[in-house]
Amino acid sequence: MSMRLVLQWVAALIALCAVRGAEPGLALIPEATYRPLFRGEKDAQEVRVAAFRLDERPVTNGEFLAFVRESPKWQRSQVKRLFADERYLAHWASDLDLGDARVEQPVTNVSWFAAKTFAASKGKRLPTTAEWELAASAGFTVRDGAKDRDFQAELARWYATPSPSVLPDAGGRANVFGVRDLHGLVWEWTSDFNSAMVTGDARGDTGLDRQLFCGAGSVGAKDTGNFAAFMRFGFRSSLRAGYTVHNLGFRCAKDMP
Amino acid sequence: MRTPISILLLSAAAFATEPVKPVAKDNKPPCCRVALDLGKPTDQSLYLLDSIWTSDVGRQIKLGALRGRPQIVALFFTHCEYACPILVGELKAIETKLPAGVLRNVDFLLVSIDSKRDTPAELAVFREKRELLRDRWTLLRGGADDVRELAALLGVNYAEDSRGQFAHTNLITLLNADGEIAFQHAGLKQDPALLVAAIEKATSGAQR
Repeated sequence: MSMRLVLQWVAALIALCAVRGAEPGLALIPEATYRPLFRGEKDAQEVRVAAFRLDERPVTNGEFLAFVRESPKWQRSQVKRLFADERYLAHWASDLDLGDARVEQPVTNVSWFAAKTFAASKGKRLPTTAEWELAASAGFTVRDGAKDRDFQAELARWYATPSPSVLPDAGGRANVFGVRDLHGLVWEWTSDFNSAMVTGDARGDTGLDRQLFCGAGSVGAKDTGNFAAFMRFGFRSSLRAGYTVHNLGFRCAKDMP
Repeated sequence: MRTPISILLLSAAAFATEPVKPVAKDNKPPCCRVALDLGKPTDQSLYLLDSIWTSDVGRQIKLGALRGRPQIVALFFTHCEYACPILVGELKAIETKLPAGVLRNVDFLLVSIDSKRDTPAELAVFREKRELLRDRWTLLRGGADDVRELAALLGVNYAEDSRGQFAHTNLITLLNADGEIAFQHAGLKQDPALLVAAIEKATSGAQR
C-alpha cells in the first residue's frame, strides 16, 4: 500500500471520528421506579421504567441545521403551520443560516413534531416523561438527587433564575449516569408531554389542578419538596404540539439494543 | 354575554327535531367511501398526517380519506367507566339536534386512545351497543404513537391510570371539509348551541 493511500485512509478515519463525535453519546439509564409527582387516588403511584439510553446532552443548533438541510420540509419557510407555529426557529437568520445563534447551543424554538421527526431521522425517539424525569432526578454523585446537596443547590439556583437571553452552550456538569444539561439550560420536550392532566380532566376536574396550584392541595403530590418538578409539570401541561418556545429544546432517547 | 342573534336563531332551528332520514343497513361508514381527489391538504389540515388507522370494519385508512365532509371528532375508549359514555351520548344528542339537511353533510368520528384493548372487533361491538349508524359514524383505532400525535393536534391530553382507565380531556372537535379545526367544544354538560351553529356553517360549504 502506498503512503498516499494510507494517509487518505487515516484522513477518512479521522473525518469519520469527527462526524461521530458530533453526535451526542448515549448514556445508559438503568431500570428503575419513577414516582409521578401528581396522582389521583387511582393513578399509579409508581411506574416501572425499563432501562433505556438517553442522549448525554440536548440537540444543538448545529445538529438541527444539518437535519433541515437534509429535510427541506422542516426548514423555517417550508414547515406546515400544523406542525410548528410562526416562531419556529425564529432565532436563526434564515432557513439555513444560524445568524447569531451558535452551533453548540441547544436548539430551541422547535415544535414537538419537529423534535419527534429529528429523533426518528437518527433512529431514535423522544424520551417519555417518566424516562426524562427519572434521568433528571439523578444527582451528580448518587442516583437519588434528593440526597445530593450540590445537585439540590444547583437545581434551586437554576429554577430561580430566568432564562438568559443568550443560551449557554451545551456541556454542563454530568450527572451520575453521564447525562448533562437536564437542568440549567432549557426545558425539553417529552414524547407524552400531553399526558399531564391539569384541567378539563375526564372525571370533571378531580382537583389535580388544585393539587398543582394550591398549597393545601399538595397533599396529593408525591414529593412536595421537589419544586422544580412542579414547575416542569405545569410547563408541560401548558404546551401544544405545534408550540415553539425560546427556551424549549429536546434530546433523543433510544431503547436498549 | 354578547351572543349574535343569528347564532341564537340558527341554534333554535337546530333544536327543532326534524325526522332523520332512515339509513339503509348496507351503507358504508364514512371512512370507506371512495376518496376524493382534492389536491394537497392545506397547511393547517389534520389530513397532512400520514398515520394509518383501522376502522371497526377492518378497513385501513389515512385520515385524509375523510376529506370533503366536515367531521365531528372525539377521542374515547370502549372500556371507559367515567366520561366517555356521556361524551358519546352528547355526540348522539347533537346528532338528533341537527336538521336533516345538515346531518346529510356531516360525519361523526370516534378515535380510540386505548391502543392495547380497542381492536376493530371491540369497536364493532361498541358500534352495535351504542347504535351508531354505519353510514354516519367512523370508529378508528391506531398505534399508540399515532394516537399521541392526533391527540396532540387536537389538544387532548390523556394518561392511563393503574386500572387501565384513561383520564382525558373531553373535547369535541369540528373539522371542516378540509380537515382544519373549525370549532372546539370543551367539557361535558356544556350547551352545544355554538357547536351546532358551527356545524351548520361548516356543512354549508361541504363538497360532497
